[in-house]
Formats: sequence, C-alpha cells, structure tokens
Amino acid sequence: MRTTVLRPTVLHHPAPKRSIAPVFWLLFGAGGMLSALFGPALIILTGFMLPHGWGVPASFSDFPHVLAFVHHPIGKLLVLAVIALFFWHGAERLFLTLKDMRAGPLLVLRLLTYGVAALLTLVTIALLLAIGF
Amino acid sequence: MSERRPFHRQQARRWWAHKPYLAYTVRELSGVAVALYGAILLAGLICLWRGPEAYADFQRILRSDGAFAVHLVLLAAVLWHVVTWFQILPKTMPKLILGGRQVPQRQVTAIALLVAMVCSAALLVVVVAIGAMS
Amino acid sequence: MSDTTVSSNVPAKTVQLRVLRYRPASDREPAFVNYRVAYSDDMSVLQALQSIKDTQDGSLSFRWSCRMAVCGSCGMMINGEPKLACNTFVRDLAPNTVIIEPLQNFPIERDLVVTVGDFVKKIESIYPYIIPKAPKPIEDGAYLQTPAQMASYESFSDCINCMLCYAACPQFGVNPDFIGPGAMAMLQRYNGDSRDGGRQFRLDQIHGEDGVWSCTAVGICSEVCPKQVDPANAVNQNKTNSALDFFLHYLQPRSQP
Repeated sequence: MRTTVLRPTVLHHPAPKRSIAPVFWLLFGAGGMLSALFGPALIILTGFMLPHGWGVPASFSDFPHVLAFVHHPIGKLLVLAVIALFFWHGAERLFLTLKDMRAGPLLVLRLLTYGVAALLTLVTIALLLAIGF
Repeated sequence: MSERRPFHRQQARRWWAHKPYLAYTVRELSGVAVALYGAILLAGLICLWRGPEAYADFQRILRSDGAFAVHLVLLAAVLWHVVTWFQILPKTMPKLILGGRQVPQRQVTAIALLVAMVCSAALLVVVVAIGAMS
Repeated sequence: MSDTTVSSNVPAKTVQLRVLRYRPASDREPAFVNYRVAYSDDMSVLQALQSIKDTQDGSLSFRWSCRMAVCGSCGMMINGEPKLACNTFVRDLAPNTVIIEPLQNFPIERDLVVTVGDFVKKIESIYPYIIPKAPKPIEDGAYLQTPAQMASYESFSDCINCMLCYAACPQFGVNPDFIGPGAMAMLQRYNGDSRDGGRQFRLDQIHGEDGVWSCTAVGICSEVCPKQVDPANAVNQNKTNSALDFFLHYLQPRSQP
C-alpha cells in the first residue's frame, strides 16, 4: 500500500528590505513603559514636592544633596535612563505625528526628532561625566 | 470590457485633526509631553553642572507659579499617556489564553494600570521614607 | 362577521440617498447624485441601493452577495464611516440624508466598486495556508488541537476580507503599499495556528517599511471590523516579533523557502 505524503507547496516571495524602525521602536517602548510606570510620580516629586518641601525635607532639593545623588554611579544611571529614554519616546511620537501632518521632508523630520534626541543623549552623558564622581 | 480609468481620491490633508483620528493625535502628543518633562530635568542637570548659583536660579524658577502651572499641564498630559499606553499594551501582545479562553484586553489594561499606580506610589513612598529617616 | 378593510393611506417613509457616482467612460471625476427612496424599518442600506438600481437607475454599480455580513462584498463609506451596506439599517440613519461613497483609500473603478487587486496580492504574499512542520501522511490521522490552541488564532480566522479596516487606516491612505491590517490578520491566523510551521517565511515578508512598520497603532481598524477580528492586535504583536528578529536573526542561519 502506498503512503501519501503531503508536501508543502510554497511559492517563493522575495523578502522585502528590512527597516531599521525596530531600533527606534524599542527605545520608544522602553521610554513609554518607564514614563507610564514612574512618570506621574517623577513629575509630582520634581515639580511639586521637592521644590516646595512638601512631604520631604526642604534640604532634599538643595545643591549638595542633588549633587551627591548625581555623583553616585547609580544616580547617574537613573538620571541618564530617565532623561534619554523620555527623549527617545517623545522623539518617535513627534516624528510620527509630524509625518502624519506632512510637516516636511522625512529626512528633516528625522533630524529634528531622532537627531535632537541623539544629541541630547550625548549631552546628558557628557554632563554626567563632567559633574564627576 | 469598457475602458478602465480608476479614480484616485486624495487623502484629506488634515485627516489627523478630524474624527475618529483626533483622539489618536492627542494620544501621540501626550507622549511628546514626556519628552518635554525630560527637557526640564535636563535643564536642571545643566544648572547643576554650572554650579550652586545657576542651580539656585533653577530652584527659584521651579518654585514659581508659572512652573507650577507647567507641571500641572505636564502631569495631566502624562496621566493621559499612562492611560492610553496601557490601552495599547494588549494590542502588542499575543492573545493571553487562560483556562481555554482569551483574557479580555480590558482586563490586561486594568491590571497594568494597577501595576503602574503601585510603581508610582512606591517611588513616592520610598522618597518620603528616606526623607523621614535622614 | 363584518369585513375588515385595510387601506394604506399612510404615505411611505422616504429618505434621501446621496451617492458618489463615477462612470469612467463618461465622467471626468466622481460626482454626487441624489435619490429619494421609500423605506421600511427592516431595510438595509444595501436594499435601498438595490431599490434604486431596480426602479430608478439601472446603471448604479455596487458589489454585494450574501446580504448577511459574511461574504465581505458590500463594504462602502456610509455617512463617512466604513460599513457593510447589508449590515447598516436605514431606520438608524433616516430621516437625515444618507451619504454613500466607495470605500476610502482605494481607487474607484466605477460608482461604489473599488480596485481590490492589490489587496489580493498582499493576502497571497503572506503564504495564506498551513505550511506543515513536517510531512504528515494521512495514515497518521488528523492534527489534534486543544480549545486553548484554537483560541489563540480564532478571531483572526473570522476575517471576511471586507477591507473596512483598510478604509479606516490612515497609514494605508498615505501609503498604498502598506501590507495593512487585513493581510496581517491573515498572517497571524496562520502563525498562531499550532499546526503551522511557516512562521519565519511569513515574518520575513513584514520586516520592511511597507510591512508592520508603516503602522502607528491608530487602532481604528479594529473598531470598524464587523467581525471583531482585531487586526490591530495582529499588526502590533508582530512589531514585537519583527523587532526581536531584527536583533536575533544574525544568530540563526536560515534556509529560504
């Protein structure tokens, strides 16, 4: 008795060229998740509680305290993560919104959003190193 | 067959400003507010680097009514970002199947929102606790 | 027993249908034509169009078939929203004028008939059939699948290819080469099926700018879907897959189909 074997019949479609969008999408996602989990608390802290000394000692936001926090390697990492990822999140959203609005040529829009985010990330790293340990 | 002459209608230039797409545009702009808040933090970092006098200026501005209002607006925008972020979240995941049935996306959103509230609350509690102990 | 007389002195309810017409042989561009139609409370917009074709203007062209929302033929813009005409009722729209246009974002062939060839090509490009993981002779019996395994792809198999999601998608409106929500739902129907082994072949088709990365998660596609397929879920979960593949594909040598 002959056995019937089902062979997959597959039409070959050439695979399209890869986009580098995943890089920006992952940065956007990380920034989005970080800001979704901690954003409200951070704004309440740095925008209301710390400047006015509500719920925290008034000295918490003074120069020596904040400098000590930023001197610490973990403090540096936290500050870098928040600032950089928040910028990359906003950059992707702003790029896509400007693209929807047809606000200009795509290269210009990319420079104004991703370009600025990249620049500000480097500036943040430079400042954190310049402030020292 | 009689002559084909397919007619291409132009997409409305301001489609993003009209129903039902306006809500999507507002959602995206709430994400941009996240970056605006990041810019405030960067400004603070710059002033910190410049030294005690520049930092004192920064503190003074932060205590002003204008800064208070700006932070209220940013807080509202970021809260909208939080809500809409977790509404999109289940769309980016494969269907969650528990007990043979799909977990409704609204439930995933609700649980994620709860986790976010806990995280933000925890951060505030930790900072207040450190402050109380120092 | 006395006779009962039924008299119909009640005037028929009528509604105005404003239809975007286009006859390529005679019209330079589409233009609206108004028709007044008598309607009853159980009449669908499709039946109203059929009454125009039967009694007022036989040249009016539109696609339809099952008239019960399973074939996906009668998609059109009704008062600016993509809907199935057989599933939209005049009683909900009257007495206001009902504005009927062909499906948004597609070229118009004639009247309410749009060009669908590109959509068919997109469906074909993502291997819309089970590619077995290994040859499975009939003697081995049927595939077994638990309810949970079926639930993971079931909604995507409900798609009736009506293209309302494409009409709703502004990114498809901007970029007609975007693979789009419907084709992605079909892709996920097969990638999510435990019997299938062709996941990578399909993923390879969607890594480009015209693949998943044209999508900005507007989400209206899932809102207009008449079958609750949730194509937005199909597209966006594959962004995660595509992003992982972007970084991990260097580690895996792969054979082409």
